Amino acid sequence: MAIIERPLAIGPGDGAETVKRPLGSLTRPQQTGSWKDWLSTVDHKKIGIMYGVAAMFFFVIGGAEALLIRIQLATPNGTLLSPEVYNQVFTMHGVTMIFLVIVPLAAAFANYLLPLQIGARDVAFPRLNALSFWIFLFGGLFLNTSWLLGGGADGGWFNYAPNSSVTFSPTHGIDFYALGLQITGIASLVSAINLITTVLNMRPKGMSLFRMPVFTWMNLVVQFLLLFAIPVISIALFQLTFDRLFNANFFNTEAGADPLLWQHLFWIFGHPEVYILILPSFGIISEVIPTFSRKPIFGYRAMVFSGIAIGFMGWGVWAHHMFVSGIGPISVIAFSISTMFIAVPTGVKILNWLATIWGGKLRFTTAMLFAVGVVSMFTIGGLSGVTHSIAPADTQQTDTYYIVAHFHYVIFGGALLGIFSGFYFWWPKMFGYMLNERIGKWNFWLQIVGFNVTFGPMHILGLQGMSRRIDTYDAGFGFEFWNLIASIGAFIIAAGIGIFFYNISYSRKEWKKAGMPNPGPDPWDARSLEWMTASPTPEHNFDEEIIVEGPDEFWHRKYGYDEEGNVVRIATAEEVAQDGSNTNVHLPSPSYFPILLALGLPIVSYGLIYSLWLCIPGAALIVYGIVGWIFEHPDDPNAAHGHDDHHDGGDDHAELDAGDETGELEAGNPEEGELVGAGAPIASDGAGDAVADTETTEA
Amino acid sequence: MTDQRTHNLPFADGLRKASQARLTKPTTSESKRMQSTSPARWLKRGAGFAALAFVLAACASDAELNTRADLAGPEAIQIENFTTWILIVTYVVFALVMLVSFEAWRRYRVKGDDYEDDVFPAQVDHNTTAEILFNGIPFAILVVVGFFTFLLHWELNGENDVNPITVDVAGQTIDWEPEIVVVGQQWWWEYQYHFGDVELTAQRVENLPVADITTATQMVIPVGQEIELEVTSRDVIHSHWIPALNGKRDAVPGRQSAPWKIQADEPGVFFGQCTEFCGLSHSRMRMQVIALEMPEFQAWVSAQMQGIALDAETQAYVDELVSGATPAPENSSERAVATFRGKCASCHLLEGVADDLWSAERVAEQLVSGAAPNLTHFASRTTFAGGIVNVYDPDTGEFNENDLRAWLRNPADVKANFTEPVSADDPRLRGMPNLNLTTEEVDDLVGLLQAAGERPSDFVIQETGVE
Repeated sequence: MAIIERPLAIGPGDGAETVKRPLGSLTRPQQTGSWKDWLSTVDHKKIGIMYGVAAMFFFVIGGAEALLIRIQLATPNGTLLSPEVYNQVFTMHGVTMIFLVIVPLAAAFANYLLPLQIGARDVAFPRLNALSFWIFLFGGLFLNTSWLLGGGADGGWFNYAPNSSVTFSPTHGIDFYALGLQITGIASLVSAINLITTVLNMRPKGMSLFRMPVFTWMNLVVQFLLLFAIPVISIALFQLTFDRLFNANFFNTEAGADPLLWQHLFWIFGHPEVYILILPSFGIISEVIPTFSRKPIFGYRAMVFSGIAIGFMGWGVWAHHMFVSGIGPISVIAFSISTMFIAVPTGVKILNWLATIWGGKLRFTTAMLFAVGVVSMFTIGGLSGVTHSIAPADTQQTDTYYIVAHFHYVIFGGALLGIFSGFYFWWPKMFGYMLNERIGKWNFWLQIVGFNVTFGPMHILGLQGMSRRIDTYDAGFGFEFWNLIASIGAFIIAAGIGIFFYNISYSRKEWKKAGMPNPGPDPWDARSLEWMTASPTPEHNFDEEIIVEGPDEFWHRKYGYDEEGNVVRIATAEEVAQDGSNTNVHLPSPSYFPILLALGLPIVSYGLIYSLWLCIPGAALIVYGIVGWIFEHPDDPNAAHGHDDHHDGGDDHAELDAGDETGELEAGNPEEGELVGAGAPIASDGAGDAVADTETTEA
Repeated sequence: MTDQRTHNLPFADGLRKASQARLTKPTTSESKRMQSTSPARWLKRGAGFAALAFVLAACASDAELNTRADLAGPEAIQIENFTTWILIVTYVVFALVMLVSFEAWRRYRVKGDDYEDDVFPAQVDHNTTAEILFNGIPFAILVVVGFFTFLLHWELNGENDVNPITVDVAGQTIDWEPEIVVVGQQWWWEYQYHFGDVELTAQRVENLPVADITTATQMVIPVGQEIELEVTSRDVIHSHWIPALNGKRDAVPGRQSAPWKIQADEPGVFFGQCTEFCGLSHSRMRMQVIALEMPEFQAWVSAQMQGIALDAETQAYVDELVSGATPAPENSSERAVATFRGKCASCHLLEGVADDLWSAERVAEQLVSGAAPNLTHFASRTTFAGGIVNVYDPDTGEFNENDLRAWLRNPADVKANFTEPVSADDPRLRGMPNLNLTTEEVDDLVGLLQAAGERPSDFVIQETGVE
């Protein structure tokens, strides 16, 4: 659906005039400055921050699970965890870190930054954006409540059939897995539609696709991957749910099912999922490295096309997870070769980052350290990936700790370190203060040393023959030494992460003590549009539409070239950047319906597990959420005079009264209006001018 | 307060103009303090120790599961040789990437104090030649790697080169194409030897004919012969892996794997571990391959074809029980027979004691995985309970009565196990339950099991010892 901008349906005149409220609809809430604002917000920046906070909460849980695993395996015949609990802990560690940490952390950055980087006011569907977040949060909480209700899932994150059936896993853990991932899948799917629409439709004048920053590009690819991958896992999870709760026979081998069906479905989703995890991080460091090298990204088009190539090729490699499943030698060699060649676009990226660094003026800030950390660590993960794309070698390596080492080098060394780079880089933009660099460097070094001490030895353990997913091992196989080292490393990582949290509170405290100095719009001398507005980002993002003339638009407004081709400054960041002072901007109103609708999903899920009666209130809440959503008025029509749901300090109705309601759209170009984000709905100057008070709605 | 903010921004000087954040440049003493506590400094101190530890530990290689040392199978050796080449390629690529990285970091790094706001490097944003090379070089490397991968894969998965070998089976000399059916279940492996002329194409394991030899946890093979494995499962997916001989192959219920082969070129014992997560006791699902010289293998086959050898008195007692009478047992071995028939025989086969009570169909009704280990030659094996407990003490060679007693008293104490039926509607068991045997019954059964099968050679007992 196109984005329709239309005038408010409130007639000019007396603001006290009541408009009939649709059946059961809630009034649109107003921003009051209290914590309750967060429950009803539709602001992509707040939603992005909430994604980040929620994901870091789950990160602490997943990290605690990781430490339990490492304590258990530190010595042979560990007894900290019983086999039942160990199986739950490693399953939930994987599920948590993938679905509740890396994906939402990437979503946090995507939500916060995509509209800013393309110069838009918000995402295309602000309420849907809030819905995505709440669904994700409730799904993640639902999944983790299994710990309190008889134990977590115990089938591994890959959850192979038929070990996932009620016969072999009689507790409710896997029901929580199936329904919880179903819920978070909805969040990803909705978010994907939203962000794709945003990127394709909300760019301002001049922001052609090939002027978008690499971060935006990588996230666009990720959203397409989600759009096509999530339905596959949704189907598999539905089948699993029906098997477990209603005695269906999709994966029941006793009834003649083929358990490889699950593996194919899972990995057709699961392999693109790997690129869903890593590409946002590639995007982040593609912003950080040029900034701190004082050079444009090398081979911009190659970077974009290699990301797209990875996105496409990622669909043709899934069976490399199944080389020993007995899928037949022809399939094995086909997937072996296709897997190998996905290393080409990945290698292009590594080499392009190196070429960006080469010849630059390098500033090793914490963000830059994390970024070059990604380049080095991901190289290790990528190369070990090539070693097990070789199917014969993989028959020895698969399901050993060699694989555990490999994917942690990719997901921790690639994705997570990149996300930390993003934290340090965009923190001043998001929160208005800088993270302390000295503490940040301790954070980085502890994390990267701990990471290598933990996961480096796992390569050796795997080649020594240590199987994955074993709750304990006997002495005498040569596993003792490296397991102990790996466990020590895990605590070094934990110390590094702890320092990160400490850094947040320390830096904030120091910043407050120092009288809350503003870091300025552009503390890093950066290149893309999000730095062209004040820090922290004002609620309306940009004061006026940015007309884009080329890639790295912001940088090119700061710098030019003299006759000899040397870079010379033509303006300071402050001169170029918008100060966020425009108060005359109409933003989408907050809404209760996203959180209400999302709340229905876990209730239905509990109902499916425990009592179908509970599904009725859950479903009723969902239906109410949808109906209320549809009929929700763009603004609260009954709000009294003097309230400010435009968050601009002015009186809404007074503003409206000043404008010519019908004339204002014609004043702009409606066709352009559909495509611009920040541009159209902004008043220029003068009280008599039309206030382009329009609403972006999901029609 | 300004000094605190300085720490926030080590490049404050260069950035001042840009951000107008009015941050001050760190004083010399401050920058020194920052350096002395810099994590990089600490890292350098630690790196030496780490390197030393790495070298020391790399020397240690006592691992029976090692994929890269003490290999005995031609397949494993081929894989290892190829892996070595690939690892060299990856080391070289990684070294080059890191070399370029370190050089770039060293050469182009600008320290915070030296950073100048208006000094810019050349703004190179593309180079067509370089970009063609960036694509072309990885592509070229992978074409070569892919080519050799293809060759090796084809060799490992091509036509099996199984030569018939002659075995004496019950007085008959048979040409046997060495083929062993490997059946995984929670949490032990069954090995079936079919000497007759059967086509092993059944989709489901219960459709297979009864095997001539059915053993558990230990697969015995002749040295120097390629053995074809048909790998399948009775419940969930498992994976059969003997690293010293070949890579792994999943055991998928309802499927016979594409043929997979192993060969041991020297006599010995080769350890294995289930490598596909299969539930509660996945980590305690182990197996061993025992490679014997041909005459010893022949002797093993002959012994396995016999039932249990009972003394005449007990045999007479068994015969009475089989005929339907119910005489009271008079001594330990008679009590053991009675106990076995009463409490064990509905799942376990003990040829010569309880054949009449056992049928594959009946077992399938009682157990989720549909089979329990054949105990007829229990004492000819050296491990039990999924390969985690010794039948004989590897040091003394004594029969390991204590652990066997512990297992019979309560299996779940020895190995994590589901001991309850599946559900109220489904009375099938998923593992060996606690039979609440009395101490006397346990002692009797230990005696009976010790007599079940021939004691293996001292060499095998020593080599197969597990912790």
